[in-house]
Amino acid sequence: MNGEAGLKVVNLRKWFPVRKGIVSTLLSRKTEYVRAVDDVSFDVKKGEIFGLAGESGCGKTTTGKTILRLLEPTSGEVYFEGRNITSLNKLEMKKMRRKMQIVYQDPYQSINPRMTVFEIISEPISIHKLADSLAETEEIVYKSLEDVELVPAEDFVNRFPHELSGGQRQRVAIARTMVLQPSFIIADEPISMLDVSIRAGIMKVMLKTKEAQGITYIFITHDLAYARHICHRGAIMYLGKIVEMASMDNLVKNPIHPYTNALMMAVPVPDPTYEKARAVISGEVPTPINPPPGCRFNPRCSKASEICRREEPELLEMENGHFVACHHAI
Amino acid sequence: MKILDIQNLKTYYSTFKGDVMAVDDVRLQMDRGEALGLVGESGCGKTTLALAIMRLLPWNGRIVEGKIKLDDVDIISLDEKTFDKDYRWKKMSYIFQGAMNALNPVFKVGDQIAEAITIHEDVEKKEALERARELFELVGIDPERVISYPHELSGGMKQRAMIAMALACNPDFIIADEPTTALDVIVQAQTLKVINDLQKKLGLTMILITHDLSVVAQTCTTCAIMYAGNIVEYADIETIFKDPVHPYTQALISAFPSIKEDRRELKSIAGVPPNLLDPPTGCRFNPRCPNRMDVCTKEKPEYTELSDNHLASCHLLTKEA
Repeated sequence: MNGEAGLKVVNLRKWFPVRKGIVSTLLSRKTEYVRAVDDVSFDVKKGEIFGLAGESGCGKTTTGKTILRLLEPTSGEVYFEGRNITSLNKLEMKKMRRKMQIVYQDPYQSINPRMTVFEIISEPISIHKLADSLAETEEIVYKSLEDVELVPAEDFVNRFPHELSGGQRQRVAIARTMVLQPSFIIADEPISMLDVSIRAGIMKVMLKTKEAQGITYIFITHDLAYARHICHRGAIMYLGKIVEMASMDNLVKNPIHPYTNALMMAVPVPDPTYEKARAVISGEVPTPINPPPGCRFNPRCSKASEICRREEPELLEMENGHFVACHHAI
Repeated sequence: MKILDIQNLKTYYSTFKGDVMAVDDVRLQMDRGEALGLVGESGCGKTTLALAIMRLLPWNGRIVEGKIKLDDVDIISLDEKTFDKDYRWKKMSYIFQGAMNALNPVFKVGDQIAEAITIHEDVEKKEALERARELFELVGIDPERVISYPHELSGGMKQRAMIAMALACNPDFIIADEPTTALDVIVQAQTLKVINDLQKKLGLTMILITHDLSVVAQTCTTCAIMYAGNIVEYADIETIFKDPVHPYTQALISAFPSIKEDRRELKSIAGVPPNLLDPPTGCRFNPRCPNRMDVCTKEKPEYTELSDNHLASCHLLTKEA
């Protein structure tokens, strides 16, 4: 079973201690934590595109970074192709990283402005010693540029990032990831900084190799309309917890959790004739330092009752593959 | 009478490399009470157009040609003092992009709103502060929060405070520049609802600038699509979505995902928007247009009136006629 699962995340936690002032330290007051990711479990099948969606501050990016151990988890395990990567040492992890990659949101910050496109793309090749000679490196770099449709590649290799448009930069960032031939990629809002007219093109080059190589993706996004068209399955996060997880179809058409429901209603629809229920929930996401007791959504939830304020709901399977963490779902 | 009438407006920025033709020959008319969505990609000139209307262009920007009439007065030819005293903020105001940075962090939000009022109207500070409280109530923030500093407010509240500030001197006409871009979807829905309700309640004429077609679909009555400094199509909101005629409008709509439709492959528009230092001759969309003809690379298309209130500039329309 584990061999088939591309990725399995079990009870993953990432708590960040809140820096205290000297007075609090002297009085040895208890350290507070930002519970960015708090007991998150899910698995992603090989070759699947799994969406991780939620509002800013819900912990979706921290989840992604903790899975790759770019942040060390506070507790919990991550299994990748059957191996527990949370127990790997530094050297083993470095080898593993070749297979597990991330594409960042902002191509204006994620690639080094002082390196040429050639240097940017060849750097991972030399770090992981994937080529024996310069000629071989060149071949890989040129091929990868063609794969992301930056053609003719000769025109691009000697350019610096400031000579590229936002979309071209993101293509370079994708090429740099793809030269390693990873089998798992976390795409952290890869298109949210880009113009609408070129977004689909960027997604296409990123997913192009998926069919051929069976790459597993986690697509982190706040844009549910995009997630709807790209992902197979998805999870909705709120304050560090997964509140609902299902096939994308089910999430959109039959949301069960009141928060998912509110989110889906809030997404604007590009159709002027579409009259949506204008019941927008009030308030904003509270701080994750001291999340409300019980269900974390209870202060904003219209269905909240006594049990919601007392007990934390578990993520339970309602029907085939549709998980919900809500006391009122049962 | 049209409340806003823009004729052949050209606004350029001077740079070392030459003039950037950010707004080039724009024609636009608005009726009172109209909510117009001005849609386009980054760099298409939508913010420049808005800044030109408010006469807030940066130092290197200038209006080269054209007229902007508000209530039949050409506001470009007014001297700065009259414009500042009688027009800016009193008759027309602006909700700035990025509320996070538009408020001054070292002053209380109430004082910032009161300042706008005392500059334009002959009232005491105390009275202005009272007005600020009323405005807060109007946009749905607890009036007690006028004594808060910007960092004490959440993102959504700051955006509402910006809306309150824009309404401070009871303008008839407001421009909202990407008012929800940095906000999360639920807060975005809340903010749009506030804008929408106020626009109807106060009978405001509004230009909503955005790159998000779905936001326009749910808030505006008309829509203008802008590409590379030109308005390529203008129509009421239903027509834009149901019956778009310009190839750019069509491509933009099909590139836009909807959460309500079934999973489909999204289409992108090939190529990139042109450099406005040296835009393509003829129709500016021609290098990316799937229906390009010879004439498109040579002549700039004129506006064709397709039906009442539906204008588009594309050679395909005149060819068939």
